[in-house]
Amino acid sequence: MDILTIGGILLVLMMVLLSGGVWIAMTLAICGWVGQAFFTSTQPGLNLFSAFWESNASWELAALPLFIWMGEILFRTKLSEEMFTGLAPWLNRVPGRLFHTTILGCGIFGSVSGSSAATCATIAKVSLPELTKRGYDEKIAIGSLATAGTLGILIPPSITMVVYAVAADASIIRIFLAGFLPGFLLMGLFSGYIAWWSIRNKDKMPPPEPDTTFREKLRLSKNLIPCALLIVFICWSLIAGWATATECAAYGVMGALALAAYSRSLTWANFNEALMGATRTSCMIMFILAGAAFLTKTMAFTGVPRELAAWVDSLNLSPYSLIACLVVVYLVLGTALDGISMIVLTAAVVMPMVQKAGFDLIWFGIFVILLVEIAEVTPPVGFNLFVLQNMTGKDSNMIALAAIPFFFCLVVCIALVTVFPQIVTFLPDLVMGISK
Amino acid sequence: MAQAPTSVGKHPSALRAGLDAVYLAAAVLGAVCVALICALMVFQSLGREFGLNTGATNDIVSWLCAAAAFFTMAHAFKHGDFVRVTLVLEKVSAKTRRVMELVSLAIALVAVAYLAWWACRFTYQSFEFNELAQGLLPLPIWIPQMSFALGSVLLLVAVIDEFVIVARGGVPTFVRLAAERHAKGDFSSDI
Repeated sequence: MDILTIGGILLVLMMVLLSGGVWIAMTLAICGWVGQAFFTSTQPGLNLFSAFWESNASWELAALPLFIWMGEILFRTKLSEEMFTGLAPWLNRVPGRLFHTTILGCGIFGSVSGSSAATCATIAKVSLPELTKRGYDEKIAIGSLATAGTLGILIPPSITMVVYAVAADASIIRIFLAGFLPGFLLMGLFSGYIAWWSIRNKDKMPPPEPDTTFREKLRLSKNLIPCALLIVFICWSLIAGWATATECAAYGVMGALALAAYSRSLTWANFNEALMGATRTSCMIMFILAGAAFLTKTMAFTGVPRELAAWVDSLNLSPYSLIACLVVVYLVLGTALDGISMIVLTAAVVMPMVQKAGFDLIWFGIFVILLVEIAEVTPPVGFNLFVLQNMTGKDSNMIALAAIPFFFCLVVCIALVTVFPQIVTFLPDLVMGISK
Repeated sequence: MAQAPTSVGKHPSALRAGLDAVYLAAAVLGAVCVALICALMVFQSLGREFGLNTGATNDIVSWLCAAAAFFTMAHAFKHGDFVRVTLVLEKVSAKTRRVMELVSLAIALVAVAYLAWWACRFTYQSFEFNELAQGLLPLPIWIPQMSFALGSVLLLVAVIDEFVIVARGGVPTFVRLAAERHAKGDFSSDI
């Protein structure tokens, strides 16, 4: 049978199982099994065992539960409440004033938490009531929260990046470093839009808060300093190469525990919940990775990705048109799948294609993560929309509409990153040398 | 972990409580593995500073990483952490949804039974041939692999458990718990 036909059959089977509600990890493994049992002469049972065992018994993957745990601990501290009071006094004179607390809050919280939904929910819980109480435009606040919440997966350390690095067999540290500049760029775009909007709509802006002295400002934000130190410490040990990603994650957990103890929110119940939550979430991700590892083996046996890459190569598409096609594919996938599943599912097939077309896998990782961010804020299953819908009681269409300007900021960011790939590769190349 | 009356059906409650306790106990074991990974990584990086030979730590960490995932599978499945596409499920009528849940669970049952069978079979094989780990720590490999065998069997039990609950007309536990969490505004389980 034609190799691409086999790929087609597996694709149809996968779509049927997925839309029927079969768990993603199991769907991947079932498709892998069908591919091996019917189209190759290998023993699927043996491969299933080794795929599950080898993908999960991995020293590099051990960073995953630890980074999740760190986020879970900080999620249960008073950090989120302090975020608003600590950031607000500094932003009084910037155009857009306290609106920026949403962007900065999500950026800071996103760097310690790797989850977009948790970032969005945590910052929204505090900022939204404060902003509406002061008379800030609710639409802009909700839109910026929905979109800036996705900074959680772009700003390192990010769980999605760890998953991408494992799936693409790339260096975790390299992809973390690659995330910084695009993250700052995106924050700048969001804040820029807010400033522009508030200059144009002066009549809709509430009056500024009374001025505070510098000393007063410092006093209000003193609780943010330990958290900022933790972030700087983690980033610095990555950049300076002091520690491996897994060690870094372990120190992150220690730091988070210390921070929680310092702010007196380290109760036994909080500790338990955070650890159990982290264990469950990492179990879920590792189960998907294991299922995907089995499917990847099938792909290697059948040769579908190689054949597909060669076929795409023979089309003589320009690199930009290949990227344009992939954007469409990921946006379609994003209407039904969550980010991690999207990345893991496509890793085996898309990455050989992208590599063959001459793209850097680190660059592609950031690119895919930006696309995942778009998927989080677009209906029908943009998860951040769902989170905000639950928290505000507003209609999800209203939230999606409010997010549109910020959605365009994301699009601009993707365009900039595509035209100037140096935004992504500059920092990792500077720190770790140019990759081959 | 208490079950709502609707999903208990005719289950004797001792069985219900016993199963839930086993899932939770295994997950706690998984959580202990995560905490141990953290402690070992700190130990390793400190040890390196003081010139201690900590080479075998990497092997242990990778086995703990596997164990953390395998032991937790059943609990995470029941808890509604395993992701699936709910786009269609949420659009159809309650009756169709029940049928779809049953079919999904039946497929999961076959798939997980197959997984558990091979996990046990190969772990037993490693035991029989007394295969050693190929790292710096030559432990019999069946010992760490037991987490895979036990975890997958427990996941199979959990899937059968859910299948029985839905077949008796109950709401799947993973649907109910996820809905309860979201209603409380808790999104920490969602990536």
